[in-house]
Amino acid sequence: MDRPVRIGIVCPYQWDVPGGVQYHVRDLAETLRGMGHHVEVLTPAEREESLTDPWLTFAGRTVPVPYNGSMASVQFGPVSAARVRRWLREGHFDVVHVHDPAPPSVGLLVCMMAEGPIVATFHAAAVRSKWLAAWGPVIRPWLEKISGRIAVSDFARRLQVEHLGGDAVIIPNGVHVQAFSAGPPFAGHTRGVDGPTIGFVGRYREPRKGLPVLLEAMRAVVRAHPGAQLLVAGRGDAGEFRELVGEDLRPHVQLLGELSEADKAAFLRSVDVYCAPNLLGESFGVILIEALAAGAPIVASDLDAFASVLEGGTAGVLVPRGDARALARALTALLADPARRAELAARGPAVAAAYDWAVVARRILAVYETVLPPGGGEVTAGDEPAGGAAELTVDPRPARDAADRLTRWARR
Amino acid sequence: MGAPLAWGAVTPEVWFLLAGLAVLLLAWAGWTLTRLRRLEVRVDRAWTTLDAQLQRRAALAEELARCHPAALGEEHAARLAAAAGEARTAGAGDRELAENGLGRALRELPGDLPGVPAALRTELAGTATRVVLARRFYNDAVRDTRELRGRRLTVLTRVHAGRPLPRFFDIDDRLGAVASSTDGAGRTHE
Repeated sequence: MDRPVRIGIVCPYQWDVPGGVQYHVRDLAETLRGMGHHVEVLTPAEREESLTDPWLTFAGRTVPVPYNGSMASVQFGPVSAARVRRWLREGHFDVVHVHDPAPPSVGLLVCMMAEGPIVATFHAAAVRSKWLAAWGPVIRPWLEKISGRIAVSDFARRLQVEHLGGDAVIIPNGVHVQAFSAGPPFAGHTRGVDGPTIGFVGRYREPRKGLPVLLEAMRAVVRAHPGAQLLVAGRGDAGEFRELVGEDLRPHVQLLGELSEADKAAFLRSVDVYCAPNLLGESFGVILIEALAAGAPIVASDLDAFASVLEGGTAGVLVPRGDARALARALTALLADPARRAELAARGPAVAAAYDWAVVARRILAVYETVLPPGGGEVTAGDEPAGGAAELTVDPRPARDAADRLTRWARR
Repeated sequence: MGAPLAWGAVTPEVWFLLAGLAVLLLAWAGWTLTRLRRLEVRVDRAWTTLDAQLQRRAALAEELARCHPAALGEEHAARLAAAAGEARTAGAGDRELAENGLGRALRELPGDLPGVPAALRTELAGTATRVVLARRFYNDAVRDTRELRGRRLTVLTRVHAGRPLPRFFDIDDRLGAVASSTDGAGRTHE
């Protein structure tokens, strides 16, 4: 793009709570700013003080609503609407980019109020199909205003096509490849120096992450490689975790707790094999791209998203999901084959390069460029959240006459 | 003698009900009209962009064929020039076919074009991406419009019935694929 673009990005989730969409918005905004564009972000937060950067605008707090076992955040109402309107009016944006516009949040409010080019990214991180099926038709009139839709994965695209209408171009999540490919190793676990290690990142309590399958496979792995260690990075209770691991495996499994971004990169640079035994879900495997960038050989279950990141199994080893024996075989074989590991480790960064933020941001910029009107013009905010429904004045004349008038008006 | 009395007693309620229905119908029709007008603007804008990108692609292809025939090979250059010319002059009805021809001619070019400035190659690759995006967004807008226009109540109330129904623009714009011999004309209509 030749001239700098003024971009307004909307993040519907609380900025000071860790989450994939928040990181995505943060990294996208930083990359675009680095390319010389003007970027502002509107986002809710738990505490207004945590929005320290001047380009962040506080959109209020979200109301947690228990839904389907987890918490969905909802934000709707006149105060939020006023904040959104002011942000739209003061921003003078060429394009507004809304993330996850489906939930009742600032993202949807922006879709209701903004007049002008709107781009939306569908992450489908937390949406349930059932919820979308009922809610989709309700919000459709406002989602119709979106000129360009992006989905981060084929899974997210299918969800969106099925329930929200329209199609989307697939632009994957980005990763700062450099931050993972170069740097110090994790203390005490240098790759190839200390004993063989298998890494796992994720909350062990979530069954869909598949840790129980990996633990079962570990029992077979340690028979072949008695020194093998499984390192689990993720939040959780140590006592409960010990229970889950069981007596026999305890010497071979270590819970590291939640790691900072820098520690996670070091961790991925240090493990001999990274394992993603996920059973389902996972709209997009960011962690796999991070592991690829860090040069960690990967064994992952054959979910569509994983298979596509691992290029059909050439950039990593794919095993049938939920099959502990197949997983054990793959892990044992890979730990015993340094040549194959070296080959995968060398290939990883090249595969990850396609997901580097510099590349991904340029693709998103091409979307902005495609929706910008040729003559220019900026996004404005309509007075009515409904987008001009007040145009119609209801007239108490009999239905027939009114219908005639309406037909004439409609043909106008 | 009882009938007129009963009729008279019911009438206000019937009127009330009718008026209520009319108000609902009007509100719905007004809202639908707003949506359709918005969609019309979106379709127009998306078409302007798509048209501009296609024209840009044809202009670049013409430039490539005219200024670098040696790099392309005479045969390719001639075919590309013809396809580009056709794409630029095609009427509304033949546009998809002509653009398909140009897309195919571009894909059939040899991978490395010695002597062709990098700037031109980058620009051509850039337009190819933009055509894909613009076409996706245009067809998206058309799909949304057709969906709303096709609803039973929309058809019945004849909201926007006098407006032409926007058409899908369907061309084969696969990216990066070097055409194989089985690469036929592609679908031209959806």
